[in-house]
Amino acid sequence: MIYFDNAATSFPKPKAVIEAMEDYFFNVGGNTGRSGHRMAIKASELVFNTRELLARLFNISDSSRIVFTKNITESLNLAVNGFLEKGDQVVTTSMEHNSVMRPLRYLEQKGQIKIFTVQANKEGLVDPAVFEDILKKEKIKLVAVNHASNVTGSLVPVDVIAEIVSRYGSSILVDAAQTAGAYSIDVLSDNIDMLAFTGHKSLLGPQGTGGLYVREGIKLAPLVRGGTGSNSEKEIQPNFLPDQLESGTMNIIGIAGLGAGVKYVLKQSVSKIRQEEMKITKMFVKGVGKIDNIEMYGPRDISKRVSVVSFNIPRHAPSMVAYLLDKQFNLACRSGLHCSPSAHKTIGTFPRGTLRFSFGYFNDAAEVEKGLTALIEISRERYSHNKQTEL
Amino acid sequence: MPLPQLAVIVFMSAHDAIKAKNKLEKARIVHELIPTPKEISSECGMSLRIEKPLLNRALELFRTTDLRYRNDLL
Repeated sequence: MIYFDNAATSFPKPKAVIEAMEDYFFNVGGNTGRSGHRMAIKASELVFNTRELLARLFNISDSSRIVFTKNITESLNLAVNGFLEKGDQVVTTSMEHNSVMRPLRYLEQKGQIKIFTVQANKEGLVDPAVFEDILKKEKIKLVAVNHASNVTGSLVPVDVIAEIVSRYGSSILVDAAQTAGAYSIDVLSDNIDMLAFTGHKSLLGPQGTGGLYVREGIKLAPLVRGGTGSNSEKEIQPNFLPDQLESGTMNIIGIAGLGAGVKYVLKQSVSKIRQEEMKITKMFVKGVGKIDNIEMYGPRDISKRVSVVSFNIPRHAPSMVAYLLDKQFNLACRSGLHCSPSAHKTIGTFPRGTLRFSFGYFNDAAEVEKGLTALIEISRERYSHNKQTEL
Repeated sequence: MPLPQLAVIVFMSAHDAIKAKNKLEKARIVHELIPTPKEISSECGMSLRIEKPLLNRALELFRTTDLRYRNDLL
């Protein structure tokens, strides 16, 4: 099977990830922070080490400012709900995923916040000057941006926008679902206040892991309150990180796997991963450009995108093409709206959606060739866009 | 020969306890992580036991690394 669905979750995982998880189950066992026996100490060390590895990856000076979550959706919900208060104003973009938009719209519907949306162009790119225009006129508490779109792969110049945001005394939340591990992120030089990431995509860890970096000085209300193993004599939630935002037993086995994934990424280096992924992305983009009738979305300039490519074959429903690719060509990809309705409206693919190929570090040129051949064959066939063939 | 007196350092979070353990290991200062004695506090599940003559060296090390421990209990 050719796996081009790495934007949904990466596959395969490095062997070290599976071994680390096995090692936790067979040899570590204990819970973290609760007890003081050797098994508990080992579990706490394991969680600590993963935090330190993530801190190294994102250039975070104090790893206690990273809190673990079950996925990036939870991280973004924690940032949005924990940071915003009644009367606050937020700036976001038309390229956001529903994991940002739904929590924001919920607060908006309750009459608690006001949202300003920066419209991206047809390629999915935003102009930082528009952020400045809004920040100049309005008092903005938070700017929430998707580092790279899961629909078009288009990158947002986070460092440029964050510099503007800090100049106006506002804070920035970066959704790094498609970039953490695949594109260089430095919270210090990029001026990032909050960084939400997932463990199971380019960090190569298992599902059920994610996290949020919170810059010192930013206070968040927890989404969940409960046992932390600390301050146990008090019935009030502790006010220090990471404990304040990590109630209940965490996904220790997942965090063990995530640690091994991050270690692998650090060993390979983000720049090498970026280089390899973009090499095959470039090859694919070039190849698709030569196929008649295929409409491709996202920036033409390869340096402004990650390894996510959306496209359509006119008269062929995306779901039908994805079905054929799976059944006849052993190729896994995603079709549809990719949980991001406003991004599709921006690029003109709503409600039809797109076909999406998303490449990972373990894909190679031969697989891209096979993918291109499959698309050529499908585009030549007369699969009409009607009710019988539409899936 | 009398046994050396021991000191127990209580941390705010397990995160700090492990950070402290790593610092002491690197500096080759003998120590042991133990369950926090109930008579002291229920602050965090694990504490650090150290021989009293080594305490000042350890605290000096902690001061340079933002470690959060209960100074008032020492």
